[in-house]
Amino acid sequence: MNLASLLSKERIDLSLSPGKKEDVIRTLVYSIKKGEDAELIVSTLLKREELGSTGIGKGIAIPHCRSLAVNKLEISVGRTTKPIQFKAIDKKPVSLIFLIIAPPHDPGNQYLITLGKIVQIAKEITKKNLVNKPTTHEEFITMINDIEKQLGKRK
Amino acid sequence: MLDVIAMHLKLLFDLDNLISDMDEPKYKEIGFKVDDEEHHALIRTRNDLLKKLPDDIAYVYERLKQRYRQAVAPVDNGFCFGCFQKLPTELLTRSKELTTCPNCGRILYFPEQ
Repeated sequence: MNLASLLSKERIDLSLSPGKKEDVIRTLVYSIKKGEDAELIVSTLLKREELGSTGIGKGIAIPHCRSLAVNKLEISVGRTTKPIQFKAIDKKPVSLIFLIIAPPHDPGNQYLITLGKIVQIAKEITKKNLVNKPTTHEEFITMINDIEKQLGKRK
Repeated sequence: MLDVIAMHLKLLFDLDNLISDMDEPKYKEIGFKVDDEEHHALIRTRNDLLKKLPDDIAYVYERLKQRYRQAVAPVDNGFCFGCFQKLPTELLTRSKELTTCPNCGRILYFPEQ
């Protein structure tokens, strides 16, 4: 599955207001779902965060969960204008957040495959110091596409 | 009241999926750290949530979970996404009620459109 194809302009916010971890997660969820379903997703994501932060270090976090509220894999991306506390593994604040919600019924385990792929891409972004580089949605999607291609060639 | 039960049921189901994902070897390979104590706390939260459900619903949920791993199935395009059988039209109009699939017995969930 091509990650760039799962990204849409409406779900990439490169000037997200900084705030509490919970508020930032809620904002990103609401770009995918509204109302009761959105709150259900937020509750599950926050429970997941209690198990251990999804802040993977070097300024990137990947909150994720499965939820009944979606019927296909949904991704939303946000970059905060100032880094926020996310209790990341390296204890450093986070500014780039990939939020992933997958449907509960996922026979091919696409969710975990995609999650693994996003972690790989995120590590490339930090390695190449690209967190703050894209300034538009288009540039962001192109960056993801390029990294995916490079990772594909290495295999 | 039904709304509260449905909300507890949905959250319980999502938490059960979260718990089972944490136990997946593939998930551990990705490299996310999971705190063991918090994992146990999550299981306690899930058990507390189960106790908040009426006994008959809690019993059905647990029985379905044992049988299928996932007790709840979303409805998409008129199909039960647990057994992929077309649901009777009459049942589709009951989206606000707690209902089960007449074929597999899973509790049906109607996502907001």
